[in-house]
Amino acid sequence: MDVVSQGAEAVVFVTTSHPYCSQPAVENDKYIIKYRPSKKYRHPKIDAQITKNRTVGEVRFMNKLEKLGINSPSVISADYVNGIIWMEFIGDGLPNGDISSVKNYLWYLEKNDDDDGCVSDEVQSMLVAVGRLIGELHANDMIHGDLTSSNILLNGKEPYLIDFGLSSISSLAEDKAVDIYVLERAIESTHSVFADSYNKWLLKGYVQGNKKSKEVLARLEEVRLRGRKRSMLG
Amino acid sequence: MTVDLDKFKKPGKDYYLALGLEGSANKLGVGVIKHNLGQLSSENRAEVLSNVRDTYITPPGEGFLPRDTARHHRNWVVRIIKKSLVDAGIKGTDLDCICFTQGPGMGAPLQSVVIAARTLSQLWKLPLIGVNHCVGHIEMGREITGANNPVVLYVSGGNTQIIAYSRQRYRIFGETLDIAIGNCLDRFARVLKISNDPAPGYNIEQMAKKGKHLVTLPYTVKGMDLSMAGILSYIEVLAKDLFSSNPKKNKNLIDEESGELITPEDLCYSLQESLFSMLVEITERAMAHVQSNQVLIVGGVGSNERLQEMMELMVNERKNGSIHATDERFCIDNGIMIAHAGLLSYRMGQINDLKDTVCTQRFRTDEVFVSWRDD
Repeated sequence: MDVVSQGAEAVVFVTTSHPYCSQPAVENDKYIIKYRPSKKYRHPKIDAQITKNRTVGEVRFMNKLEKLGINSPSVISADYVNGIIWMEFIGDGLPNGDISSVKNYLWYLEKNDDDDGCVSDEVQSMLVAVGRLIGELHANDMIHGDLTSSNILLNGKEPYLIDFGLSSISSLAEDKAVDIYVLERAIESTHSVFADSYNKWLLKGYVQGNKKSKEVLARLEEVRLRGRKRSMLG
Repeated sequence: MTVDLDKFKKPGKDYYLALGLEGSANKLGVGVIKHNLGQLSSENRAEVLSNVRDTYITPPGEGFLPRDTARHHRNWVVRIIKKSLVDAGIKGTDLDCICFTQGPGMGAPLQSVVIAARTLSQLWKLPLIGVNHCVGHIEMGREITGANNPVVLYVSGGNTQIIAYSRQRYRIFGETLDIAIGNCLDRFARVLKISNDPAPGYNIEQMAKKGKHLVTLPYTVKGMDLSMAGILSYIEVLAKDLFSSNPKKNKNLIDEESGELITPEDLCYSLQESLFSMLVEITERAMAHVQSNQVLIVGGVGSNERLQEMMELMVNERKNGSIHATDERFCIDNGIMIAHAGLLSYRMGQINDLKDTVCTQRFRTDEVFVSWRDD
């Protein structure tokens, strides 16, 4: 079992063993295990509650996405108490061996291609597809909560959403606008050179994916002006 | 680091002395710091010559109001400055500069202290340097602990921020979306009528040590931000019910396992455990985000030993993690940190003209250009 990534909250492993079948159903098939380890610093009662709530939330969200046919890994098995989710393996490696997240892909282009390569038609259609995917998500009143370029994986040319630990259900334009705003900010800080084009394409796709995008985009203007960060007293 | 800190040295003098005046909240602090020529390093530490503080303490159940706090500062500022100079064994005219808190903080107290600073500056013909309170905390924490590029958790009565340095600014990665942690603890202390002497947070910490049962409270972390207003109103209701004629009516006031009635100590314990878990969690997120393994805790709430202990448990599980915290002398608002951060600005030639010494209640950490660092 190899560690794919280690964040603050969870460790992600890749494995070839399936929780039910003794042999992989398909040869060379791989699965992902997301594990939220217990945190020693937390009171055991708080720790158990958080681990369980977040795991349950994430699994529910992923199930709903699967039913709606929105690209995301499907859940194979879950252990709520121990904070383990067993899911489908998504993505393929980039030529340099990194995971094929949108972030790594864009960084790879930045390093290995000229400026035109970073804003090619291929990149544009990929980002439009990402925008469309987020649009579909919001059209179903689902909020990701932590949209960044590293939380979107590319499987071939198809984008897939991952990491729903902070997800929620909401029909408010405000929540959707903040969701997009968080992504915009993330793009600006991680891919600053071409951020303007990237964000434009993402929004282009978003309008295609979400039929009721007008209200959300109007709210997005407000959110941008307001900023997420406020000025504080003493 | 290649920054030259000695471009503005006085001929024939191989050290700098700065007086710092702090009064952004209910503490009035004055301190004198000495820097020798050259970069600050483990061999060339800043020297604290004096660090005097007086706290305006209100009766239990009451907070400090701006007007009364400002009056306290006006009444004490001359005496505290005198004591500070005597402790340091220097005359006012030996100083290189006068540093004061420019913000953020409560308007009236800030103003009464800046008036003292302006007066001294004209009396002794010394330049004035306005200091951002948060940057003061960060720089003093770095100097005292020797942490060179940490993720900073700044937790005090008015602030809750996760900060990391990047390209000459202290950038805010996460913060509270409503009230600050110290504010949350202070207001809870008021409901329970816990004494404000020496500080409500300190008394909550002592009571929490006797707590046995954990009451489940809301837990609101949003990415690297957090929210505490909801927790406060939830626990305030519990506390009020606790003092009602029949506290057992509220199911949440009975411990599930033992069936015992929850005590005020249990509430203090539960509040601390919940709030601090949230803080440690967002700190860990920020560390993962900026790929750092050092944590520095500053601000008044940072002197809480339980918070330090929890942070240590988190940091120990990370590779090469290290935690840095200071004690109450430097955690709680003080004049010396203002003197230290101000002196760094002074050595880089950042001086405020008299007309630019207006205080501001809102002054974000990331507005300050950190000229004395270029890593």
